[in-house]
Amino acid sequence: MDAFHGLLSGFALALTPINLLFCLIGSVLGTAVGVLPGLGPAATISLLLPLSYALGNAVTSIIMLAGIYYGAMYGGSTTSILLNIPGEAASVVTCIDGYQMAKQGRAGAALGMSAIGSFVAGTAGVVGLTFVAPPLSAFAVKFGPAEYFSLTVLGLLLATYLSGKSVVKGILMALLGLLLAMVGRDPVTGNERYSFGLFILEDGFDFLTLGMGIFGIGEIFTSLEAQMKAELVTTRITGLWPTLADWAVAKWAIVRGSLVGFFVGLLPGGGAVIASLLSYAVEKRVSKHPERFGEGALEGVAGPESANNSAASASFIPMLTLGIPGNPAIAMIFAALLIQGVTPGPFLLKDHPDLFWAVIASMYIGNVMLLVLNLPLVGLWVQMLKVPYSILAPSIVLICAIGVYSMKNNIDDVVMMVLFGVVGYVLRKLQFELGPILLAFVLGRILERSLRQALLISRGDLSIFLTKPISAALLGIAAAMILCTVFMSLYRYVRRPPPANA
Amino acid sequence: MKRFERVAAGIFLVIGAGAAYLALEMGYGSVRFPGPGFLPFWLAVPLTLTAAIYLLACRGPDAAARPLWERDTWRRPGLSAVIMLLFTLLMGWLGFFASTFLLFLAWLILVERERWITVGAVSILGTLGAYILFAVLLKVPLPKGLLF
Repeated sequence: MDAFHGLLSGFALALTPINLLFCLIGSVLGTAVGVLPGLGPAATISLLLPLSYALGNAVTSIIMLAGIYYGAMYGGSTTSILLNIPGEAASVVTCIDGYQMAKQGRAGAALGMSAIGSFVAGTAGVVGLTFVAPPLSAFAVKFGPAEYFSLTVLGLLLATYLSGKSVVKGILMALLGLLLAMVGRDPVTGNERYSFGLFILEDGFDFLTLGMGIFGIGEIFTSLEAQMKAELVTTRITGLWPTLADWAVAKWAIVRGSLVGFFVGLLPGGGAVIASLLSYAVEKRVSKHPERFGEGALEGVAGPESANNSAASASFIPMLTLGIPGNPAIAMIFAALLIQGVTPGPFLLKDHPDLFWAVIASMYIGNVMLLVLNLPLVGLWVQMLKVPYSILAPSIVLICAIGVYSMKNNIDDVVMMVLFGVVGYVLRKLQFELGPILLAFVLGRILERSLRQALLISRGDLSIFLTKPISAALLGIAAAMILCTVFMSLYRYVRRPPPANA
Repeated sequence: MKRFERVAAGIFLVIGAGAAYLALEMGYGSVRFPGPGFLPFWLAVPLTLTAAIYLLACRGPDAAARPLWERDTWRRPGLSAVIMLLFTLLMGWLGFFASTFLLFLAWLILVERERWITVGAVSILGTLGAYILFAVLLKVPLPKGLLF
């Protein structure tokens, strides 16, 4: 089945009333969590994992969860522009110029261009997904355990490098996540590992407990400390449709943002946050008037908002074709697929073409829904910003607790979630990026399985990782990255300025 | 800040070294037949080494001595963590209904210091709303206890 026919069959499935309904639910929920500060798409998807299981239909549930992820990219800009607080991490950079525009009475233009840029880039990203995913999937079928091991190592390394300022902290988080994945029964011998005789640790940590703890509960602790005192721009929002002058300024920013977002979204660890930051830097660099940035430049809103949507669509590619989730929200969707008995990876397209194409088709539909939700209905979301956090926070805690409890009907899991929340909060205080923990936790099991299979095939000969060309190339890239970092660090150390009081 | 980072590095170092020791106890096996401790060992060793590098990077005095928490900003997160833990313990004993009501009540009084009218209204409506949503509509099996 070629991409065109696959997509047509996908639309046939995505346009059924039940799938349309859940696509709409996902888009609405996504916009809502994007608008509300303190609740990101990763936490929301984890909250709804039990519901997705209860739905009993993999296509419908993944359509809804995907809608939450890309919908959050639309909603995040509203809070950034009107409140100067990012509703979602990927909209951090939109605060800079978006809020300035709102203060100058141009909130409508900022919100409108943000929604239109998001729609154009989101759709462009899905077009890329439609045509890049099938050939990549066909290529990935050739991957054996050695290639998978090397790809996982490279993916983890990229996730670590792109996650934050400190590579050392990123590596620590990734290794901690991998070790957490080792807790529980050994998949080959069945021996217990790091369970310390505790019943709750016998089967290892649950992905949901870890994800909701560090992202859901941890985020609440951080928000409680910050005591969000922001000033909502309450002027009447008019002029949502961009003028010709606005188009002239923003059209290339949208194109550049779409391209930057797509390529960054493909990388493990890249995702929407990095894409939006990179797009802002690009716009400032190419602008003839960079001094306008920070003062309410429309390109500073259009570029990053386009980039984060394009990246959100592109980040489905490595997950659907290689089985490698690139960011925490995608890792949650990866877990949802596993819960439904579907293994993401090169065989997904062959074994479940209906799911593969229906999810992609639903993303075209979802982007249209989101344009409607975020342009004419933007006032609705502004009203939502008036819900006090004092009511929202205990409600989120309750939803997290019920979500985790309902997986195994075990109170101990809820206690574990709170403890992970405390750990996540403290790590965040120490400026550790938490994305690599969750990614490494998911990839840990793939890493171990592929390593042991490769060693069994090669009868313990480690050269299998270097004699297979794809595996060798992937490990070569990983080694080059490590060497580059070491040399750059040494160079900076040698060239550092002498101490002032020497 | 560096002082706290040194403590964190020390904790990572202990976790890494402990995990490596336990991995060997579990059974390392061999490269040809990896045991349960094979991969954990090769994860724990780099964790220990990276923690040591982190510890070295955090040595020396702070350029600007800054506490991890400004004044008493730890209070609300700390209080909410205690409430959450009590809520989970009470959930198993008292059941969903009573523990959820107490969660809202304690949170709004102690963490948010809301007015009594808000506390009462949100606690009652929040508990009822959650019950209707999860137990009635979504049919989630909720914990039952002394008071349901």
